[in-house]
Amino acid sequence: MKIDRRSFLGLGLGAAAGIALSPVGVKLTDDSSIWTQNWPWTPVPEDGEITYDRSVCSLCPGACGISVRKINGRPVKIEGLDDHPINNGGACLHGISGLQYLYDPARIKTPLKKNGNKFEKISWDEAISLVAQKLGEIRESDTPESLGLITGADNGSMSRLFERFMGAFGSPNTYTMPSLESNLALTAAAIHSADRSLGFDLDHSDFILSFGAAIIEGWGSPVACIQANASRRERKAKLVQVDYRLSNTANAADKIIAVKPGTEADLALGLCAVLLAKTQISTNTLYGDVNKLAFAAMLEKEYTPDKVEAITGVKAADIEALAMEFIKAKAPVAVPGKGRGDVGQSLREFAAVQALNALAGRLNKEGGVFVMWPAGYLNFPENVMDAAAEQGAGKAKLAGSVNELVDKLEKDGGLSALFIYNANPCYALNNPEKVKAAMDKVGFKVSFSSFMDETALRSDVILPASIFLERLEDVVSGAGLAKTVVGLCRPMVKPVFDTKHPGDALILLAQAMGAGIAQSFSWESYEACLEEVTEKIWDTLSDDGYVVIDDKPPVGTPATDFTFLVSAPKVAVPMGEGDYTLVPVDKMRLAGGSMTSSPFAVKTVSDTVLSGKYSVVEINPTTAGVLKDGDIAVLKTAMGTAKVKIGFNEGILPGVIGMPRGLGHAFNNPYVAGKGVNVNDLIGPVIEPGSGLDAAFGIKASLSKA
Amino acid sequence: MDDALIPEGAKRCAFPIFMIGIVIVGAVLLWGVYAMFLCWFKGLNQTNMNDYYGFALWIWADLAVIAVGGGAFFTGLLKYIFKVDELKNIINFAVIIGFICYSSALLILAIDIGQPLRGWFIFWHANVHSMLTEVAYCLSCYFAVLTIEFIPNILENRQANKVPFFHHLAHNMHEVMAVFAATGAFLSFFHQGSLGGVAGVMFGRPFAYREGLLIWPWTFFLFTWSAAAFGPCFTLLVTKITERITGKKLVGDKTINLLAKISGWMITTYIIAKIIDTIYWAFVTAPSMGFKLSHFYSNNGLYGYWMLITEVILCGVVPGLLLINKSTRENPTTRTIAIILGVIGVCLNRWVMVLQIMAVPVMSFDTWALYIPSWQEVATTILPVAYGIILIAVAYRYLPVFPQELELNESADAAAQNG
Amino acid sequence: MIENKKVHKFGMVVDLDKCTGCGACMVSCMSENNVPFKEDESNKKDSITWMRVYKLTNGKSFPETEIVYLPRPCQHCGGIGDHGHSPCVSVCPATATDYGYDTGIVSQIYTRCFGCRYCMGACPYHARYFNWWDPKWPKGMENYLSPNVSPRMRGVVEKCSFCYHRYQLAREQAMIEDREIEEMEYQTACTTACPAGAIVFGDLNNPAHKVHQIVKPDPHPDPMNHKVVGKSRNPKVFRLLERLGTNPKVYYMSDREWVRKAGDNYLKGEWENVKTHHGASSSHG
Repeated sequence: MKIDRRSFLGLGLGAAAGIALSPVGVKLTDDSSIWTQNWPWTPVPEDGEITYDRSVCSLCPGACGISVRKINGRPVKIEGLDDHPINNGGACLHGISGLQYLYDPARIKTPLKKNGNKFEKISWDEAISLVAQKLGEIRESDTPESLGLITGADNGSMSRLFERFMGAFGSPNTYTMPSLESNLALTAAAIHSADRSLGFDLDHSDFILSFGAAIIEGWGSPVACIQANASRRERKAKLVQVDYRLSNTANAADKIIAVKPGTEADLALGLCAVLLAKTQISTNTLYGDVNKLAFAAMLEKEYTPDKVEAITGVKAADIEALAMEFIKAKAPVAVPGKGRGDVGQSLREFAAVQALNALAGRLNKEGGVFVMWPAGYLNFPENVMDAAAEQGAGKAKLAGSVNELVDKLEKDGGLSALFIYNANPCYALNNPEKVKAAMDKVGFKVSFSSFMDETALRSDVILPASIFLERLEDVVSGAGLAKTVVGLCRPMVKPVFDTKHPGDALILLAQAMGAGIAQSFSWESYEACLEEVTEKIWDTLSDDGYVVIDDKPPVGTPATDFTFLVSAPKVAVPMGEGDYTLVPVDKMRLAGGSMTSSPFAVKTVSDTVLSGKYSVVEINPTTAGVLKDGDIAVLKTAMGTAKVKIGFNEGILPGVIGMPRGLGHAFNNPYVAGKGVNVNDLIGPVIEPGSGLDAAFGIKASLSKA
Repeated sequence: MDDALIPEGAKRCAFPIFMIGIVIVGAVLLWGVYAMFLCWFKGLNQTNMNDYYGFALWIWADLAVIAVGGGAFFTGLLKYIFKVDELKNIINFAVIIGFICYSSALLILAIDIGQPLRGWFIFWHANVHSMLTEVAYCLSCYFAVLTIEFIPNILENRQANKVPFFHHLAHNMHEVMAVFAATGAFLSFFHQGSLGGVAGVMFGRPFAYREGLLIWPWTFFLFTWSAAAFGPCFTLLVTKITERITGKKLVGDKTINLLAKISGWMITTYIIAKIIDTIYWAFVTAPSMGFKLSHFYSNNGLYGYWMLITEVILCGVVPGLLLINKSTRENPTTRTIAIILGVIGVCLNRWVMVLQIMAVPVMSFDTWALYIPSWQEVATTILPVAYGIILIAVAYRYLPVFPQELELNESADAAAQNG
Repeated sequence: MIENKKVHKFGMVVDLDKCTGCGACMVSCMSENNVPFKEDESNKKDSITWMRVYKLTNGKSFPETEIVYLPRPCQHCGGIGDHGHSPCVSVCPATATDYGYDTGIVSQIYTRCFGCRYCMGACPYHARYFNWWDPKWPKGMENYLSPNVSPRMRGVVEKCSFCYHRYQLAREQAMIEDREIEEMEYQTACTTACPAGAIVFGDLNNPAHKVHQIVKPDPHPDPMNHKVVGKSRNPKVFRLLERLGTNPKVYYMSDREWVRKAGDNYLKGEWENVKTHHGASSSHG
């Protein structure tokens, strides 16, 4: 048959008609839509039996109880644990997104050793013996005190275990990162007695005078504080916020006292002065108070309302009225600690606020401030210390605080090895560049981090830690909470990667070191250790998941020693030049300190805080000059410059620039890092004499259009 | 070389010149096709649309081509139902333009939806309450009708017409075309209207929402009316452009003026209705929801009163008056100005009824949302234009689209020959 | 069929004076409902947040400035006259979003949605989000996804479902035990997470439920605007854009007048009349 054009056309048309009429088209259409409903690259989570497991969150010092929902043993959701004495069912966004940390792109998956500029994977055995060998060399050279330790949390068995290691090794050089807890302990030590902490009974106070404390934005135990604030509204208890910007706490407050940044201590002292002058507070040494007369004399001379007005910008009449309102309330309490109360704080300020509590008779009273004893549930066996350890541990510490240590190391070195646990000083301290330079002066750095953060990146060996969802641990409350609760953090899932409990890593290391150190760490595992050292409460702890050690006001009124306040020098910050004062702003949705925000948390951050790659700075439109809302500007301080986005905000004191803290991370997690600026880069540490704290609450800054 | 295909007696440019033109426009078409495939394979993240701007450039283009494509149904209605016989001189072209517009609209919809392979769910899981369902049904059916209306013209191609079957088919189809024209008019009435309804029923969007008759908001009738009014303007405009490019008179002035006159009266009556609607909306409907008229036209960088004035007065009242007035209608310059203004006006109306709705903040604490389309959106929007140009070029070259072409150009040809 | 069962009308009331803007509800929602995330989420116009917390300000200068955080889930509108024709449900061409007459919940069927986004245009609350991208989780992270809510594919619209799967689980349990669902058995993820206890969720039809007691919904149409049904008889309680007649089932509460005023749009002078009429129709109930 000859195929001409016509028959070809006919064949084509016929075939087309045939296919159109056949079920092929319908079938293909249907199948293609079914395919779109089951795209292989869209995950289908496995179904199974639902169970709930209890644990404790240790991401921040909040120590909240959590309930973990699992499907066939696979954790799928974290929620607040109902009826838990701290958070009573509530949860914060960081805790809820806890599961994201398990699979975080920046997690360290195996032990690592630095080789040149790169990390290489090693086995746990290699890692432990490598560290043991280096440490052995240090001990052999008879300088055990040249091993340093920087930790975050300062309570619970893990910090005790690290201290024990340092003791058995023979070094006094243990440093903790600044935290609200450590600042409160310093305050207690300065004006009451050592080894105490302070707890603020917000739940029962009817008048909370907060000196910039971000009570509903992450100060203390965040969920407990938010709940205290919610109940405050129901109890009709008043909140007065001393602040220089409209923080969420200030917004929730009944009244805002607008104050110049950095003058909170002066205001507190001014209030003390009014109280002493106008009320019948005895200035004698009742209760064994020390130097009260000298304190009163100082107040009378230097902190009259008029003088305080000149310093703080708060009207003299308002100061007097506030003092009277405070003293007349049934259960007032003054709360120190700007923002989260961790970085950029001065002891003078904490002590001044606590003096106000003391003068108002609010120590150890319901709704006041509790001067608390340590939790005291841990009983470690005697530490075995050989002669070298005795000698090394007896030497003087290199520095008084982590800030001073950074100074010292950067200038003259002094440590041959450094352990870093639960801390990210290369990000969280002011002027991280200086911290990095100080770190570089240390020959051998061992990180126990779970994430490849700014500090881990600078380590020589990493013994990667399992995260809280993978480990067993006692978690003690603190952070200004007026009760002591020990919670049990339990492994919710087997370690996802080749990580270990840092306690187990430390035990392995100690045993590899042999001699006295091994004897001090003769447990077969951290679990065995925990069971032994918490023996008194272990049964309740493991059955109930928590033990309430104390939730009543301590008995008696502790003595107050005003000596520190009488002599405390004012720290001259902010430094440098500029028309503005740059201050960091703590935000609930951005984690601070050693903790990094999760992808979920970063997602919730408003575009008035983070816009693309830019941190948005708050500035009052009246002092913005030529800059307009949304402009990109160059922010310059004595420490450095950064490009930022201008965000007009009526709620900030004119002349002040507020910059969010918790941004500008620089490590490999595209969801969290590489966004905005680390405000700490722009602020220089100013060390407060007498406390060693970095009191730089801000810095002078200038702003110009980019 | 393609002489055998060219209508008998018609003069066409040389094939290579024709091909050069096609290749240039074809390149633009390919650019659009590339963007289209990007959108299909990578998803709508290729666009600059967002959760505030779910409807954007494409939906505007869609509504606009359907509106200007309204010339097909309205001319068909006049020709076959109202027996305005004069319009036989332009009906073929009106149908081709309609065909291009509607096939483009369907293509744009296929790119616009997030799950193109599930597009048929609109028929399968139809929600009778949705204006979009009505649009989908009427649009698809009317496209089928337009195809049927287009077929006889294709079959009149010199070669195709030699096949007796095709010849008779074309002839018979012409005979029954009134049935299809009626069907088309009916379908068009509903889908043009339901496209207006799409906006008008959104009672959560005070800028769009209109009261109405039974289930149909006033925008339903305004859209149908405006498509009937401005559709012929577009037919006339494209005719004018085609005449300019081919350098030939293709449709007689009598036909042009008749269609322009009808369009003029339609525009005038439409714009009166539109003004009444706007006033009622501005002073009754929107205020009842707490909105002052100024809310919709201030505090943003683009949408001001100028837009409303341009649409209603400059591109509505003015072309309407120019076309009903005999002297301005029959003056080619003023007529062309009126036609252009009319086409701009209806496109502007569709823009406002798609994009401004999305831009206006409704919650008191919300902000204006403006957006700039990505190149992929622009390319896929130009794609139908390129496709339309090619289809018109091919149709003009090979099909007897304009019945008057030979007659109108005889004298010119003769003059050329004599000269 | 429905007559045999109790007809619920689930809704919530948010105490804006308690809300601290902490974001726990947003994250709890994302985690509960397998909401994806991408590298840059700072453009809030393409950031999927079923629960979004808006920040409102009174516009005054420090220290007179006041702000309020307003958490905005899907409002689960009942539509004009509360007949179930929500702005979005009534426009969806493929019945991919539906109104549950037995729950009052507006559902979204991801496998049926073909992504025309008409519902997004119709929703004045911006409660609907489109999956512009394929959802992607960093390696291993898909391990935490919950099987109770299917992850969505690119090209479809998603939104808050009032954690409908939690209702299903509670209902199943109640059916097995042959009883009604208890108030606390069915709570949304945002409600349970809120550390401030600002969100109260329950059945607006059930006088024993706290949400009913706070809101005191008026079952009769508002005499001043017949489109509106279920207006609160609590003068502190309001709804967003109530005047449009969308009839949301999410109510807000505040002591502050400027906050209540910000919930809707008012012409000059209107608010002064309206505010005194809040709860005016209580004589009906």
